[in-house]
Amino acid sequence: MNAPEKLKTPSRSASELTCIVRVNEEIKSIVATAFRINLMALNAIFLAKRAGNAALGFGVLSNELRRFAQDLTHHMASLRDMTSGSVGSVTGVVQQQRNSAILLQAIRLSGDGVPGVREARKRGAQRLAEQHGRLRALDLRLRAAVEETQQLVELGGVLARSAKIEAAYGGSFSPALMQVSTDFAEVIAQIKRSLEVLGKERLVKD
Amino acid sequence: MKQAHCIYQNDDHRWLAIARDASKPGYLIDTNEYVVMDGEQALLCDPGGIEIFPAVFSALSAECDPTTLAGIFASHQDPDIISSLALWLEFKPDLKCYTSWLWQSFLPHFGGSESTFVPIPDPGMTIRLGSLELQAIPAHYLHSSGNHHLYDPKAKILFSGDVGAALLPPDQGGLYVEDFTRHIRHAEGFHKRWMGSDRAKRDWCERVSRLDIDMMVPQHGAIYQGADVQRFINWFAALEVGVLRG
Repeated sequence: MNAPEKLKTPSRSASELTCIVRVNEEIKSIVATAFRINLMALNAIFLAKRAGNAALGFGVLSNELRRFAQDLTHHMASLRDMTSGSVGSVTGVVQQQRNSAILLQAIRLSGDGVPGVREARKRGAQRLAEQHGRLRALDLRLRAAVEETQQLVELGGVLARSAKIEAAYGGSFSPALMQVSTDFAEVIAQIKRSLEVLGKERLVKD
Repeated sequence: MKQAHCIYQNDDHRWLAIARDASKPGYLIDTNEYVVMDGEQALLCDPGGIEIFPAVFSALSAECDPTTLAGIFASHQDPDIISSLALWLEFKPDLKCYTSWLWQSFLPHFGGSESTFVPIPDPGMTIRLGSLELQAIPAHYLHSSGNHHLYDPKAKILFSGDVGAALLPPDQGGLYVEDFTRHIRHAEGFHKRWMGSDRAKRDWCERVSRLDIDMMVPQHGAIYQGADVQRFINWFAALEVGVLRG
């Protein structure tokens, strides 16, 4: 028997595992950015307090941005839960594909007419289809969750733009407030880019 | 390519040896698999690893109907013994796997569910197969800490797992031991290194000496027949085990 021959079978699921790794890396990067927004918003709140009446609006927006960062962190936590679950499903597919490939090789070696092989192959194909189905459902849920997060980030973008406008009315604190609001806009743009990458990832190839 | 050889037959009661695979990749240890059959039921002893499953399945199918497999006997937990479990279950999901209770929660890492495993207690147990009453006999620490051999009193065959194993060169590919003195040289290093307990070894030798054995069939190497069985037991009893070298 030529054992390495089996390993040459194309492993679609291996690329699916790589995809999960990429998704997780993007999620980690967004979570880190959300943590940064939270800290930035906290600093902005203190800055607005020091600026007094001139930065009342900026203070309200900073509070909202802080809440946005917390919501974003929750969203990303549920996305991470989904990808953790998908590792199990992809592993199931990998195992099933490997078992089916080896069983097929055994059947080929044994020749036609060995009792029980047709049923065994049917069962294997059914299990594989079920596992693919679970993975597809997870993929749909993940995409829906990414879209929902994208809407939340749109709101973050609006808050950052409004903060920039409010910064203009900050009197002597205006340059400092402007700098903070520009930083907000930049990190939110960074999150948008990460979410676009996430939106393009597919756990199951069509 | 592996082939099944009938090493015992009495009506429907048969023992098949799927032994010595010259075509397997060199990086895999060569293994023997055995099938005990009685009427419409078969038991596969130490079915082997994932890599050799196609060869074992094909050899077994050539000699018997694989749907008659009722169970698997795993002498211990090593990958060359039982890592193909998931594949056998892929073919026959209701197979039972008889193994030491010690490995009951370890072997599911290779495959199977709670209902797959029949734990063998330390003193051993009787495994019924058709009209046969096979005896799982203790061989703990030889080499695994939870280890059993399988004795068929009717056929007078002892499946001895790693005990009796010999790592034979390719030019000694015979099914049976032909020259004990020449053969045992290839078993010495293996037994010294792999068998860890002198006390367990002496206990096993005493118990097995009392059994009526015509053939001792190991998981690696050639089969001992007739007087070579007792010759092996005596050799093993005198061997210093649990040593790295010497």
